[in-house]
Amino acid sequence: MIEVEGLTKVYGGSHGARALDGVTFTVPEKSIFGFLGPNGAGKTTTIRILATVLQPTEGTIRIDGHDLGEDPLAVKENLGLMPDEVLFYPTLTGLQQLLYYASFYGIRRADARKRGKELLEQFGLGDEMAKKVKAYSHGMKKRLALAQCLLHDPHVLIMDEPANGLDPGGMRYFRDLIRWLNGQGKTIFLSSHMLYEVEQLCERVGIIDHGHIVAVDTIADLSARLTAGAPTVLRVSAAGVTDDGIRAVAAIPGVTNVERTPLGVDVTAKAGSDVSGEVSRALVMAGAALRELKAEQRSLEDLFLALTKGGGA
Amino acid sequence: MRAPEFFRGMRQVAVQELLVNLKSLRLIIMALVSALVIVGGAYGFSGLGSGGGFPGGLPPVVVWPHAAYNATGSHVAVVWVSDPFGGPQAGRTVDLEALGPNGTVPLAKIATDGNGFVRHDVGGTDVIAATVTVGSFQTGTTISFPPQPQNFTYDIIQGDLDRDGSDDEMAIHVVNVSGDVVPAQIAVNGTSVGSTDAHGYLQFDLPRGDSIVNVTVAGETQTFPATVRGGSGGPTFASGPDTVLIIIAALSGFIVSLFGVVLSFDAVSKERVQGTMDLLLSRPASRSGILLGKFLGAFAAVALPVTLVNLAGIGVIAAVSGKSPTGSFAAAFLGLSLLLIATYVLLQLSLSTIAKTSGTAILFGVLAWLLFNLLYPIITFVIGAALFANDPAGYFHFSLVSGLGSPTQVYFLLIGLAAPQSLAGSGGTAVDPILPEAAAVAWIVLLLLLALWTFHKRGPE
Ligand SMILES: Nc1ncnc2c1ncn2[C@@H]1O[C@H](COP(=O)(O)OP(=O)(O)OP(=O)(O)O)[C@@H](O)[C@H]1O
Ligand SMILES: [Mg+2]
Repeated sequence: MIEVEGLTKVYGGSHGARALDGVTFTVPEKSIFGFLGPNGAGKTTTIRILATVLQPTEGTIRIDGHDLGEDPLAVKENLGLMPDEVLFYPTLTGLQQLLYYASFYGIRRADARKRGKELLEQFGLGDEMAKKVKAYSHGMKKRLALAQCLLHDPHVLIMDEPANGLDPGGMRYFRDLIRWLNGQGKTIFLSSHMLYEVEQLCERVGIIDHGHIVAVDTIADLSARLTAGAPTVLRVSAAGVTDDGIRAVAAIPGVTNVERTPLGVDVTAKAGSDVSGEVSRALVMAGAALRELKAEQRSLEDLFLALTKGGGA
Repeated sequence: MRAPEFFRGMRQVAVQELLVNLKSLRLIIMALVSALVIVGGAYGFSGLGSGGGFPGGLPPVVVWPHAAYNATGSHVAVVWVSDPFGGPQAGRTVDLEALGPNGTVPLAKIATDGNGFVRHDVGGTDVIAATVTVGSFQTGTTISFPPQPQNFTYDIIQGDLDRDGSDDEMAIHVVNVSGDVVPAQIAVNGTSVGSTDAHGYLQFDLPRGDSIVNVTVAGETQTFPATVRGGSGGPTFASGPDTVLIIIAALSGFIVSLFGVVLSFDAVSKERVQGTMDLLLSRPASRSGILLGKFLGAFAAVALPVTLVNLAGIGVIAAVSGKSPTGSFAAAFLGLSLLLIATYVLLQLSLSTIAKTSGTAILFGVLAWLLFNLLYPIITFVIGAALFANDPAGYFHFSLVSGLGSPTQVYFLLIGLAAPQSLAGSGGTAVDPILPEAAAVAWIVLLLLLALWTFHKRGPE
């Protein structure tokens, strides 16, 4: 479980930029938490603080009950960090990096070697583990980063845009891995720009903008909250829509706007009104060949854009 | 923070830092440079003062001739062959020739016995030439038989037998009229300096200027004068191993501090620049542990080659001049080098933590080195010269105190203090050792605290 309260970070002295301002959220035990926000919103800053890399200016953080300020070593013992930029000691081999990192957890060298090799093989780096990291591709470094993150079997995983830069196969593998790790009881905190990924993986998300948390909730509740009061949009795919048909649709009670699209028409109706039956009947009667009619889903993307006012820092 | 937490991660970081550094090109380059300067300097400066192509200007063998007589009054040529320090040379061939009005007549070639002696009855011959050849070195001497035999005879050599750079040692060899070893008491200006050993040899010191040496055997005393030239406090010679070591230590001060800078200037900034700092800081290690590990690793990586090079330098001095520098001074040199490395590595760790890029880190490192090794000495010299233009004592005191402001100068002061007394330059002995020693400790503590503090404040940002 991760509890963050009133987290504030000011970079570069007291007059520096306020990257985080009173950030508060909770990540329940054994859940996958998605952390979203436009560029420069403060995701990486939050993650570096959670991973005990940066010291917060203000605020308290408890990870699995340990206060980060008071007992950072206890937190570090059980934490795996996947940084946004995957950078390693260029002159060490993949396996050597893992052995170095393992030494901090008091893992016996023979055990570390065994576990390191297993992980590298599991992540498709079996042939690369004896190569120096400077010869690794971005994706290979990403996999190595995953290995170092899981090396000591931590209970809490903190990942900054972990899927970024993976090939489609890697992406699917990663998604399955995260689900599996979660099934093993791990608490996972990940930031991402890939909303589809987040939708697929996370029950809960937090959205941050300009250093402020703008929403923390389950995706379902967030959608419900956003759709409430918002007009319904029907996307109609049809051939031979005549002007008469358009007029007929516009005359249906509750419909506020009708618009031609390359595929057919978009119909906007008042919130809460279900006009799909009337719309299809009116169009067919006006001689159109109806192919498909569906109510637009509010995707996480829309949520995101709505909450962060179009994105961009 | 509890003690184990304070040091948490230190060992791991230190081992890693050491291994990475030991494999780095810059370490190899710096090790070669210091080997060149230290070992080369040791060789060059040791060789400078030695004359005659012999280590330290001393011959490999010394031939001690004596005129002795056997019971029948026949002349016996007695030749003792030893090294300059009284070690008998057995098995050396002594070539004896008679010198007469008709030129030289070969008499015999005889090997010295186990005690280094040749005793040969030459009948009535009055003048004998004795020659010993060792490799390309040949030394010869003559023995004349006076009509009035002495009860004992002596031979002396005078030179720089202890390699301290001045010819103020004398060695004497005494045998009785039969050519046998007898104990002889030696006194310089009326003060006993010892008696000859089982081979008849004794080495002793002479004071500067003129002296009278008494040789007493069985109550009978013979007397001769001796002189040591060279004014007191005059320049010492490079041939003395301790003197060479002082020169080497001075050179080493610059090289070693530069070595420390070159190896540790980016110890922290590199982690940040290459982006490995975040992962390191997320490990169960305390910031103090990481910093101390960086320090120990970089320190060991410099200390290892420097100590090897220093030992080699001392070895070369000993080999070339034939005598080792004073043990305590050599040990102090080794230890003070380590102290100097520690100060510069600590200084670099702080600078490296502040530096945002490798370029700034290099700049900071070079500037700090220039400051302490060049700028600071020049500035304090100029200020001192201006303030104490007519007050040498005041200037001396000022330069001592201002020297404490640079770790390199503290090192130089401590080297001067550790040097054997007779070698300490003018006034060197007047320094209270407490001051530079305290300054050395203060530098280390101060820089350590500074490094810990900067790293704690600015580690990853
Ligand atoms: N080391 C730093 N020093 C000063 N300011 C920083 C530093 N790192 C980040 N910032 C600032 O803090 C703010 C938040 O940056 P952060 O990297 O946390 O954003 P992010 O949400 O991770 O963005 P992205 O999606 O681009 O990764 C930005 O305004 C950024 O300029
Ligand atoms: Mg980021």
